[in-house]
Amino acid sequence: MTAALTIAAHHIRRVVRNPGLILLLLAIPLTFAIIEYAAFGRTVAKGTLPPATVLFLDEDDTLVSSALPQVFSGGPAKDFFELSQVQSKSEAVRLFKRGQAAALIVVPSGFQSAVLEGKRAELGFYPNPVQSIGPEIARSMLEMTALIGNGLYAKALEPIAQIRALVQAEREPTSDEVAAISRGFFEAGRRLSSLQGLSGLTVGVQRPGASAVKTGFGNDPGQFFAYVFPGLVVFGLLLIAQALAMRLMRDRLRGLQRRLVVTPVGPSAVILGGVFYLVAALFALLVFLGIIGAVVFRIQLRDPVSLVAIGAGFAIFASGLHLLSVSLARSDRGAGFVGSVIVLVLSLIGGSFVPAEQYPPFLRSLAVLVPNGAAQQGFIDVLVHKLPLAALGGRLAVVWSWGLAAMGLAVYFEQRRLRS
Amino acid sequence: MIEVSNLRKNFGDIEALKGVSFSVRAGEIYGLLGPNGAGKSTTIGVLCGLVVPDSGQASLDGIDIARRPVEARRVLGVVPQEVALYTEFTARDNLSFFGRLYGLGGSRLSEAVEQVLERVGLADRAREPIERFSGGMLRRLNIAAGLLHGPKAVLMDEPTVGLDPQSRASILELVRSIAAGGAAVVYTTHYLDEAERLCDRIGVIDRGSILAEGTLQELRDAAGAREIIALRGTFAAEVVTREMQKHPEFEVLKVTDGELLLTVQRAEQHVAALLAAASSLGTVREVAIRQPSLESLFIKLTGRELRE
Repeated sequence: MTAALTIAAHHIRRVVRNPGLILLLLAIPLTFAIIEYAAFGRTVAKGTLPPATVLFLDEDDTLVSSALPQVFSGGPAKDFFELSQVQSKSEAVRLFKRGQAAALIVVPSGFQSAVLEGKRAELGFYPNPVQSIGPEIARSMLEMTALIGNGLYAKALEPIAQIRALVQAEREPTSDEVAAISRGFFEAGRRLSSLQGLSGLTVGVQRPGASAVKTGFGNDPGQFFAYVFPGLVVFGLLLIAQALAMRLMRDRLRGLQRRLVVTPVGPSAVILGGVFYLVAALFALLVFLGIIGAVVFRIQLRDPVSLVAIGAGFAIFASGLHLLSVSLARSDRGAGFVGSVIVLVLSLIGGSFVPAEQYPPFLRSLAVLVPNGAAQQGFIDVLVHKLPLAALGGRLAVVWSWGLAAMGLAVYFEQRRLRS
Repeated sequence: MIEVSNLRKNFGDIEALKGVSFSVRAGEIYGLLGPNGAGKSTTIGVLCGLVVPDSGQASLDGIDIARRPVEARRVLGVVPQEVALYTEFTARDNLSFFGRLYGLGGSRLSEAVEQVLERVGLADRAREPIERFSGGMLRRLNIAAGLLHGPKAVLMDEPTVGLDPQSRASILELVRSIAAGGAAVVYTTHYLDEAERLCDRIGVIDRGSILAEGTLQELRDAAGAREIIALRGTFAAEVVTREMQKHPEFEVLKVTDGELLLTVQRAEQHVAALLAAASSLGTVREVAIRQPSLESLFIKLTGRELRE
């Protein structure tokens, strides 16, 4: 045992002396997480959707047309939209192509006249074809505005008709006519004011307890990353395990392994030393990534015992998998290729890149049966769903069963190879 | 010190060892010569305790290797053919690590490292990362790692491969000093001249058997007083075999498309007759006469040259 620990410590010292590749691989999950944070983190932290930019082209240039942008830039809609005036459709197309706008609203020339004359007045709506959510929200907002506008118009037909008559007569209104028009709008407003009750609408929320307030991951970045980060960590560890195991493969090809097994410590200590080295290094890197998650991404590392139980099982699996791969391979290229394919397939099935919740039922079931998927979901269960260790039995059973099986096979084949 | 008795080992249908026996005394350098696939690696594997023979016995300092491999490895030093060292570390760090695997520690380890570095002439480079070392320095450090624990038996597998003549000479001197220190040395090489210069006794192994064994003089005697006539050119084996039956004073050692090796007593008396018959053998471009040597014996015994 002492000899195996000496060998493991020696391998770890080598990694510390020459950490370039490991640091590079460690950067993969961190980079993924930072990219996801840059894309979604800010708005997810606020619990809102990212604002959609709506372009506004006013070809009518009248009092009514200039009032329309208020629909998107005032009131509660201002949190969802950023309004930008453009001078032409071609300018809007340029912004569409750059992905800088979700939709274009065009107020055509003659819009105010049509409104005043009671004719059909149309607004032009052009969604950005390369976006999906933003244009849909803008379209809904515009349709709701048109609905309310039509209601208001119906309530103010009489004063509008009086204005139209004055415009057509091309004369100044008398004081009595002004008073009548004002009275007409006042009445329309009064009738509409009954809708103001909606503005005071409140929704009563039953809060069962303070801890229940932050369920889901939309409320703070810690929750968001607690959901996303485990998959990236699991993927990163699989890659790092491969790189660490490949060092052992290269030792074998350079005759270093044979030199160790002809010392008094013998083959068993050499194999065990390799196992200790891989498991210890991976577990240490897992802890390091966990600390990064807590410090940088504000993940609350709750229930350390559960996290260690899952992490240790997964470190054993990742070590066993790649030890098995290098034990069976005849060249480092062969081991590298096989290892990479296995990592990729496991990561796709396990949900490292696309959350397994989005999978169809069959794949979702499969995802938690592969060790990385079970480990990932186990971490999420602890960090997000706050499940206790006792509720993680299924996940732990999957991770540890795979881990022990892979490690057992790796040790068996390595012993057989060394004795042949 | 090293006793190998009637070793047999099969890998499936392949008979790797067919009763190999030899012994090496303390202070003796034993050359184990054989072409690729002759059984050298399997024999060395048995001596290292990595290959268990089907039958026969091997022991180091009286310790049965198959039964007590750990104790046997304590008295054994192995110098592999590859430079098996950790390039991330200095010479001293490399030796310290291997020393710990041999059970050394504390001041004993430090002293052993310093002594062996001094012995291989690398004491002044001890703190340098070995990636800066030359090929010769790496080979010397490779040997040092096998001598660190003061082994009674040393296996050296082609320790001079790829070295320049000066570095080779330095390594050969080192090997002599190891034997002079009382260790039994088994030395494998593809350089016959090296074996002739270095080894006290030589065993020629091929197809799993020791074909000849003895001191250099004994082997030369076995080769007889016959010299080798080497013809280079273009030859057809069946033609050469047929034609040479007309000249029974010659013995065909080897014939390939480009080379014909013959042995004969007092070659200078027969060269003229051979050249007269040469046109019937093929196209001859070069003729050379070699004195009886280990090479001729080796070819005679194995039908192959050592490098094949």
